[in-house]
Amino acid sequence: MAEHLLEVRDLHTVFPTKDGLVKAVDGVSFHLDPGETLGIVGESGSGKSVTVLSVMRLLQRPGRIAGGQILYKGRDLVKASDPEMQEIRGEEIAMIFQDPMTSLNPVFKTGWQVGEPLRLHKNFDAKKALKEAIGYLQKVGIPEPDKRAEQYPHEFSGGMRQRAMIAMGLSTSPDVLIADEPTTALDVTIQAQILDLLRKVNHDFGTATILITHNLGVVAGMCERVMVMYAGKVAEQGPTADVFANPKHPYTWSLLRSIPRLDAEEHEPLRAIEGLPPDLINPPGGCPFHPRCAFRIDRCVREMPPLQPVGPTQMASCWVTQAGRDLNEAVS
Amino acid sequence: MAVDQTTITQLEGTPVSYEGGLARPAQSYWSESWERLRGSTFGMFFGGVLVVLAVIAITAPLFANFVTHVQPTSVDLSNNFAGFSRAHPLGTDELGRDTLTRLVYAARVSLGVGFLTVAIYLLIGGTVGISAGFYGGWLDDILMRFVDILLAIPTIYLLIMITSMLPLPLGPITIRHDAFSLSFIIAITVWGTVARLVRGETLTVKNRDFILATRSIGASNLRLMSRHLLPNVLPVMIVAASLGVGQIILLEAALDFVGLGVQPPTASWGNMLLNAQTYFYHSTWLVIFPGVCIVLAVLSANIFGNAVRDAFDPRLK
Repeated sequence: MAEHLLEVRDLHTVFPTKDGLVKAVDGVSFHLDPGETLGIVGESGSGKSVTVLSVMRLLQRPGRIAGGQILYKGRDLVKASDPEMQEIRGEEIAMIFQDPMTSLNPVFKTGWQVGEPLRLHKNFDAKKALKEAIGYLQKVGIPEPDKRAEQYPHEFSGGMRQRAMIAMGLSTSPDVLIADEPTTALDVTIQAQILDLLRKVNHDFGTATILITHNLGVVAGMCERVMVMYAGKVAEQGPTADVFANPKHPYTWSLLRSIPRLDAEEHEPLRAIEGLPPDLINPPGGCPFHPRCAFRIDRCVREMPPLQPVGPTQMASCWVTQAGRDLNEAVS
Repeated sequence: MAVDQTTITQLEGTPVSYEGGLARPAQSYWSESWERLRGSTFGMFFGGVLVVLAVIAITAPLFANFVTHVQPTSVDLSNNFAGFSRAHPLGTDELGRDTLTRLVYAARVSLGVGFLTVAIYLLIGGTVGISAGFYGGWLDDILMRFVDILLAIPTIYLLIMITSMLPLPLGPITIRHDAFSLSFIIAITVWGTVARLVRGETLTVKNRDFILATRSIGASNLRLMSRHLLPNVLPVMIVAASLGVGQIILLEAALDFVGLGVQPPTASWGNMLLNAQTYFYHSTWLVIFPGVCIVLAVLSANIFGNAVRDAFDPRLK
């Protein structure tokens, strides 16, 4: 088997709290190939962000990686030292955060900040870094980049700041770009522009992209593959088109069904998923989704299903579909 | 039709510019604060007084050589308790030393100690506060408990305790009652408050997203603290320092006055006061001049400090 660019194997990340151990990421495995786009979806608290923060080794205390491997170009990042991680962050793997309004340091000019990775990793001097930074600001579609570089973040709009963040991420030509809900804090029109830019970045620079979102439409438009997370576990993964057309996990199925449709009958109620996400300190026995699952069988309450191939391209952790049942046919 | 045409050409002729779109020019926190400070006439006036005092203090030897033509320690017993004259504009003391020259030299001590002490305690308090706040955990516990202990002991008691041990041989150097040593001694007794303030601010800043974002581009802890965190806690430090100079000048004068500060024959406003109190009824002006100097310096430092605080404190905007 060919080596993946990034491969996460059986990752466990925990947060000790006074009420007990929160298993925020519980046995997650996935991989990313060069130039690929992977979407990670799931509701709040499903462990999406914690997964990528674990990859970056940027967990806030007291969070820690309790087990598993994160193989980047064959090196295990879990075992990497702090200086080694500092070399990888920004240079090899860059990250874009959810809220562009607070992700830039208010006391520095934008151009200086965008050039910071170059000063850190490529030993550029101030002048050269600023020149490069202006070039990247131009590439991400900021008009008059030389003037904009001299401005402070508070003079930028949200969309422009997110562009600046992307420029900062790209400046060292990383192999992996992780975007953690990059459009959640933006207006819908700006969202489309930023996603367009990310798609262009992936296409033009060949940067493998991990896109975290809870917007299924974004995944459909951007990602070749998708991983659906629930309660810190992988519910399902596979090529986006297949997963959307033929979900193999009831959670994915419910998520897709809960998207409001324009062609719905008038006054038809929105179909929400009943119940609440589980408590991650004491998750329900068996499959964590079973209390909310419409397809539940007895086995689901007793045993956790492993993540196994279901169908030719997909993987799912569900006893029902692993037994050969088709979710789309089951309810229609 | 013709009207439309002109509108279009005008639109096309206007280059798209962001400058025109902005209501006011781009301003950083620093330039904005500086503008505000400059706008405070009262504050700037006393800032000016402080600058004049500082210039006089720095050029004291020139002043002695070219204006009064006497050294601050040159004794003239035949001419003690002299009144105001051309040779001695502010008279002489019990040993016939020129009061004006001594006042000018004393300004070096008071202002020097004032500014140097503040610089040192900002350095100590800033470093401790940022490290404690940034790293947290056991380092925070140890440093902050130490600060708690320091703040629980009355400053003046600590100062008297340390200064009464002087001169203190410490390896190759001996710590004496000079302005330089006093600055360090005062600084190590008062940095606690600054450390606490800076720690508190660090705690709020370090949890903001841009710190995580800066970590994500591979910045080391040292760079995070010195380059990215420090500028964000600097306003708090400026505010803490703004009222510090006046306080320290007073504290140093008090130490001199109880005889534990700068020792005669070196002139300081505090020890001139101490010396003059013996002759209070006999030569009142010997008390008045150093007293007025202390009041003027502290008042200027405090009013200017207030203006600085008003201009730089982000919470007062």
